[in-house]
Amino acid sequence: MKRSFIFLLLLTFVHCGKDLSPFGGEPEITTLKPRLKPEWPNPNWKVVSPESVGVSSSKLGLVEEYAFTRTGDETDRKGRRTDALVILRNGKLIYEKYARNFSEDKIHLTWSVSKSILQTMYGIAVKEGLVKLDDPGYYHYEPLSRDEAHKKITIRHLLNMSSGLAAEEGYESGPLKSSVIAMLYTRGRKDMGAFCAGLPLRAEPGTQVYYSSCDTNILSAILKKVYGAEEYDKLPFEKIFKPLGITNVTFERDGSGTYVGSSYLYMTAKDLAKIGYLYLNDGVWNGERLLPEGWVQFTRTPAPGYKTTPYSEDLDQDNYTAHWYANTGVPERGVHEPWPDAPKDTFAGLGHWGQMLYVIPSLDLIIVRFGDDREKAFIKNDFLKFVKESVIR
Amino acid sequence: MKRKISVILSLLFLFILFWSQWNWKHLSSFPSIISSFYSKEYCSCYFVMQLSEEQCHDFARQWVPISEFKLDKENMSVTVKGLGRTNTAKFHSKEYGCTLVTE
Repeated sequence: MKRSFIFLLLLTFVHCGKDLSPFGGEPEITTLKPRLKPEWPNPNWKVVSPESVGVSSSKLGLVEEYAFTRTGDETDRKGRRTDALVILRNGKLIYEKYARNFSEDKIHLTWSVSKSILQTMYGIAVKEGLVKLDDPGYYHYEPLSRDEAHKKITIRHLLNMSSGLAAEEGYESGPLKSSVIAMLYTRGRKDMGAFCAGLPLRAEPGTQVYYSSCDTNILSAILKKVYGAEEYDKLPFEKIFKPLGITNVTFERDGSGTYVGSSYLYMTAKDLAKIGYLYLNDGVWNGERLLPEGWVQFTRTPAPGYKTTPYSEDLDQDNYTAHWYANTGVPERGVHEPWPDAPKDTFAGLGHWGQMLYVIPSLDLIIVRFGDDREKAFIKNDFLKFVKESVIR
Repeated sequence: MKRKISVILSLLFLFILFWSQWNWKHLSSFPSIISSFYSKEYCSCYFVMQLSEEQCHDFARQWVPISEFKLDKENMSVTVKGLGRTNTAKFHSKEYGCTLVTE
């Protein structure tokens, strides 16, 4: 008894002053440093050996083994099913591989990574002075004026996934009541924005984070009103893809001609990496500022409502910044950061069935992974750990 | 005993009736999910991502099987029947890909 007491006392002293929290600390959102030697891909990325930018080829082999080892066949659709993997360091391409009939010039469905590019469209609209983050949505989009509660929903709330609209994001898990399935395939498909704006509210706008494709498609419908249909049709192509040298791209629309910003953007892996590079460079491309100052900072900041959302098992997977994901938890509520083995400043656009765009400013890394995972066999944290360990300096 | 069973069955029936009415908007659109999902995702897989026919079937397949399938390469459309409902998705252009054809 006495011995164990002394042991416990010693243990307390040994750990005195150490951070024992397994949940990390407060989010670290430092300003991105301006790049001294930018390597703008005009039109393509410069290809170099991993070693020349401080990455170990042999350790990249472990990344490849993790991503491309197939454990199921095409019919059962199980296991890790990577279609494409592209890694860039210091703005140079150091790794590229494809599988299952994909190649460098084949576009891939990005699913919800589309949301993060819809957010880029907002960055442009804000820079052009056409919308303000705290504008109520109904200023621009009539269906949100149906009652006083809906009138409180602002653009910032929608970008923060905090509209309070009672959407059900369940996909295969609960198809009957899933509003995302109803929106994409049945009752909402003619006009997704209007369908979503018609949902009742479950919470006061801005108070709770609830990941919802509906919030994105309302945002997309708002942009159509702001720009007018003709200019809106050209908006992503002219204002984002063209400056970045992206020509091989498809962005599908709903029955009313509104971009399905929640789900249906198709790009090549190397072109999606350009979106990552735009964010890594604080919204500047080729020396020109495309996104307003502070936009990337806003992108990386957890949504305020996230702190007050009732805890759920899925919370750490939620899109709780502004249509992107950040590697921050909520220590005081015991919510772990989603990828504890990745650098804290990692942020990402993520999509259904394993679509990923990671930006890691502290390591100057961009990673694009496309897949068709039908079960949760691809563990993002394990994958990011292998990538991080491949960086030797 | 027999009476007890019939009471339980009637209660169950009533419960299902109420539940169905309560969830009618979800239930009535549900059967269409199979054919609309299959046609839209197959259309995009084949005409947008340009994968093989076999790969696109694997991509769009769900746990509820479909009963009819038609890939119209000339008109660039995909028509699928499942759970008694038929849906068509059509390819428009390189920029805008496929959309479900609305009735």
